[in-house]
Amino acid sequence: MRVAGLTLALVAFGAGFFVAQQAVKLDRVVRARFEGQLFRVPSRVLSAPTILYPGLDFERIGLRGSLVRLGYREQATGELAPGRLRWEPGRLHIHRRAFEHPTRPEPPRSVVMGMAGTRIDSIREAGSGREIGALLLEPELVGAYYGPNREQRALVRLSELPPHLVDAVLAVEDQRFLTHRGIDFRRVLGALWVNVRSGRVRQGGSTVTQQLVKNFFLTPERSLKRKSQEALMALIVEARYEKEEILEAYLNEIYFGQRGSTAVHGIGEAARLYFGKTAGALSPGEAALLAAIIQSPNGLSPHREPEAARKRRDLVLRLMHGQGRIDAATLTASLAEPLGVAAVTPEPREARYFLDALRRQLPTFYGAETLTSEGLQIYSTLDLRLQRLAARTLREELERLERSFPRLAREESPLQGCLVALQPQTGAVLALVGGRSYAMTQFDRCSQARRPAGSVFKPFVYVAALEPRGGQPHITLASRLDDGPLEVRTTSGAWRPENYDGEFHGEVPVREALERSMNVAAARLGQEVGVDQVAAVARRLGVTSRLPRVPSLSIGSADLSPLEIARAYATLAAGGVRPAVRTLEDVVDAEGRTVQRQSIEIERVLDEGTAFLITSILQGVVDRGTGRGIRAAGITGPVAAKTGTSDEERDAWFAGYTPELVVVVWVGFDEPSSLGIPASRAALPIWARFVSEATGGHVRGAFLPPADVEQVAVDPVSGAQALAGCPRSRLEYFLEGTRPEAVCPEWARADGEAPGRWIDRVFGGWRSRR
Amino acid sequence: MSERSGRARAAFLMGLLLIGAGCVAPPGAWGPAPERSFRLGDLEGQGDPARRASNRLLAEGLDGDAQGRPSQALGLYERALQVDPTNPYAFLALARHHAEGVAPRRALSFLDKAEALLERETPVPPGVEAHLVGLRGAALHAAGRPELAAPMLERARRMAPDAWSDGRLSARELR
Repeated sequence: MRVAGLTLALVAFGAGFFVAQQAVKLDRVVRARFEGQLFRVPSRVLSAPTILYPGLDFERIGLRGSLVRLGYREQATGELAPGRLRWEPGRLHIHRRAFEHPTRPEPPRSVVMGMAGTRIDSIREAGSGREIGALLLEPELVGAYYGPNREQRALVRLSELPPHLVDAVLAVEDQRFLTHRGIDFRRVLGALWVNVRSGRVRQGGSTVTQQLVKNFFLTPERSLKRKSQEALMALIVEARYEKEEILEAYLNEIYFGQRGSTAVHGIGEAARLYFGKTAGALSPGEAALLAAIIQSPNGLSPHREPEAARKRRDLVLRLMHGQGRIDAATLTASLAEPLGVAAVTPEPREARYFLDALRRQLPTFYGAETLTSEGLQIYSTLDLRLQRLAARTLREELERLERSFPRLAREESPLQGCLVALQPQTGAVLALVGGRSYAMTQFDRCSQARRPAGSVFKPFVYVAALEPRGGQPHITLASRLDDGPLEVRTTSGAWRPENYDGEFHGEVPVREALERSMNVAAARLGQEVGVDQVAAVARRLGVTSRLPRVPSLSIGSADLSPLEIARAYATLAAGGVRPAVRTLEDVVDAEGRTVQRQSIEIERVLDEGTAFLITSILQGVVDRGTGRGIRAAGITGPVAAKTGTSDEERDAWFAGYTPELVVVVWVGFDEPSSLGIPASRAALPIWARFVSEATGGHVRGAFLPPADVEQVAVDPVSGAQALAGCPRSRLEYFLEGTRPEAVCPEWARADGEAPGRWIDRVFGGWRSRR
Repeated sequence: MSERSGRARAAFLMGLLLIGAGCVAPPGAWGPAPERSFRLGDLEGQGDPARRASNRLLAEGLDGDAQGRPSQALGLYERALQVDPTNPYAFLALARHHAEGVAPRRALSFLDKAEALLERETPVPPGVEAHLVGLRGAALHAAGRPELAAPMLERARRMAPDAWSDGRLSARELR
């Protein structure tokens, strides 16, 4: 008996020692988690906000789609709640939600938009009728930097949540949460009884604390050992931390289902996903629905299983009423509410390359760990509409090319392309698609690839020749260039450039040489101006890659990225003012503080007159030259552009701009191989379709000459001034002081001077300064 | 006879000189000096829809600057450019914002851009030139070049005493 007692005591001591040892170990684990970073919150990247204003074509900007993606829901009657809208003939009522933005906090605003056809006619405040000049919508989610678990959450604080939300969760998940110490024995016994009677597991007895512990520290396996650990840890958590802390952690941790490949965690993210609003703004009915689906987020999904979700929501509401958490009126009103969930739009997949490009532009202290865990809000420059359009256009047009030219359809290394669009005045990246499929390859051909630039480089040669640099420029637009055979001696032998058509064209006007992209004329011009000077101009305009000082530089032998070409063309589009390329505007930390800002940076690097002259020639490329397919595609208004095809047609480029948009398209294979078609057939159609849909087909604005550019009548054959009596005449632009002094030969040969000819000589050639 | 022809020649030459002076005077791009300096409000209702919306956002930005919320103001100027990237007044407002701040050199770039874009505006609002000159002076002063700044500020003062008498242009004065 004594031995048995001693044995029992020893066993009890041993068990106690074991439990104590386990408790110490588990306590260390609990403290490490709770006192460290409790949650990893992926940083989100948001688009530039959509700005609505009278006169805007709302169909073109895809307003309906934006509102759906932002979670706005139709409300047929009554006063609109925030996040609701009502389309009526000729009118859109919308109650724009409040949102935080680094530009400024936007309060909720109920407005009525008058619509005339596809345009917004007026925007007025719903109550006062006061006119609103511009209305900002919330930025859209572009994507997020996920950790390995791909969990998305928006952290909430308990103090921000309405009491009915907490009540809804506790009513159904743990009604005695405030009184138990981690384990609810009454509930355990109750669940045991239900399960024994039914012969299967129908009810769980876990408290909120146990669920939290399970999610934080344990695997989902059902074993006695794991259950014991769960119970022990729940007791430790309850002993160490306040009820509020535990509940807040739980509400931020609960799993709420999948959004594509992303796991949605926490009540904050769930509120955003299901109702397009913050958790603080949930109604009792909405709160009850979220509480209802905790049990089985996918099985009770209000999108896929609305009836099951409704039944469970109603159960939660009745429990809330039964436990005295809501009154009868609230119960009745909430039961009558439709589920009212917002449409779930998949996280955009079109902007993956942009997200990578943005990450590369962030300062190095925003490493992967920071981006995947600290819940930063990164406000980008991206125009999500243009980004979607760019991705779709590139994908579909590459497929079309493969259908039209079956030799381009290759299994192993498919045809690739990229498209980048910038706002020239600010350097904002509006769209960037680095390849036809991010899933296939993450290599960004817009910013990481360097490919022979071909003829898209030639404008830099012409800029070098047109720029006065303190004296007379090497050429004017009245000059003629020699496109005859050329041989340049180099260290590796003689270099003899050829034209695409295999012919030489003799003496040609400057415009024609570039409009028809003549290689020999450009190569000779580059030699005359100096390759160093050509390289210096390219550098100034924004090219950063290595530029080999070889004669072939002038016809685009240097390997450049589409993004740097876009920047250089942006400089031309902006009248010689080079912008810094920007993908982000602000980075805001989890506390709402702006911790990083990327402001507009611009610098004049080229005189405005020269920038205008090259723009004028490049407009000719579109109107008459190798880029005339742009006009054939129906795009009207000011467009300047250049085609580029590298040796053996391995790379096809189209780089062009309007007064407000620069777009560069590249098409080719990752392993360089001939396309067998020129840029005008490979890259131009992609550019044309993108710009046509982006602008509605008519480009806004104009390229106007600056004050120091004058228009003079010239003889297109001789390049001399064309006065009255000259048989041929066309107007040409000149920088002030560079107009030709000579007069057309016919005029000069005329016998004697007719009365008043001296006046003609002085004023006759002048037409206008603009 | 010779005296008479000499007077006639002198009168003729004087006439030519006057005509010439008229011809070679700077084109009246900026117009005559206005009675009051330029304000953004002068453009109310002008321009295409994008420009009007852009100017509204600018006005809100200037309010932000005037009320001591510079980062909000900056954000609104950038929003104004999002809507209309060729709006010269947005660059003017950015230049004003930076002229007295920590980045006066940036102000000079924005002024340059504003000036280039203003040349294309028809009509150019009277009084803008005073702000261009004055802001250039203010930016140069802030950049540590008082010897270059002084004549510009003095010129702006003469051109628009209501705005530039104190050597600076406040957000309210541009609003």
